[in-house]
Amino acid sequence: MARVQIDDTTMTVHVQGLHQLAGLKRRIRAPLAHVRGATVDPGVMGEPKGVRAPGLGLGRVATIGTFHRDGKRQFWDVTAKGTPIVIELENEPYERLIVEVDDPRATVDRINAAASPRGAG
Amino acid sequence: MARPRSFDTDVVLEAAGTVFCRLGFEGASVDDLVAATGLHRGSIYGAFGSKRGLFVSVLRRATAHLDGLPDGAEDDALDLVLVAALELAPRDDEVRTVVGAVCETLDRRPGHGVGVLGARLLRRAGLPAYSSLPPTRSGRNL
Repeated sequence: MARVQIDDTTMTVHVQGLHQLAGLKRRIRAPLAHVRGATVDPGVMGEPKGVRAPGLGLGRVATIGTFHRDGKRQFWDVTAKGTPIVIELENEPYERLIVEVDDPRATVDRINAAASPRGAG
Repeated sequence: MARPRSFDTDVVLEAAGTVFCRLGFEGASVDDLVAATGLHRGSIYGAFGSKRGLFVSVLRRATAHLDGLPDGAEDDALDLVLVAALELAPRDDEVRTVVGAVCETLDRRPGHGVGVLGARLLRRAGLPAYSSLPPTRSGRNL
């Protein structure tokens, strides 16, 4: 479970509890101008995740840590029980964050309202 | 930056628009959009940033030249406007602005103007054309 904090110019994703150890990350921070949007996406759990480094593998129970796929870095913090949201970034070390949060719809709305408006491209 | 596109944006937006019209914004899952567009999930996120970003692109394209559309295309565009007005506009400034611009365009038309949205909503539901509402363009259901 993660918590998303938004202030004037920055989005911070706080990794909670033991997941900090498993993912070897406490928080990921990005300027709002680099946040392209967020989506509630339960189906993302079925995606190939790529190569994990670093982070802890917990099989089907949870996916936590940094994953490399097609030369891009993604951060995952999801369990089999929760509803993941996908946060798309640009010009950041991570291209995509896939995390579970307490209230997925409200969190996604908050992120999208704060993110810089842009269309396709 | 995103990799160069290897897909036809018009074809993708058309396919995604069909999904949003049928299922609504919240009802359409990313899996539905992946299936309809033939894109990988990562390509959708890479190109549009989010499901919302894809929807806004679909809505803008469909409503860009509202006055020049053939009948069926206008009904499709109005269906997207209805979805946008019902689901996203109350909490999304950009979508509300696009819906507002469409209403301005409709309002300038002679006759019932923006009332065509109400007529389209009922027609889409399979209800008859009421005499107090303007006729819709093609008069077909969803």
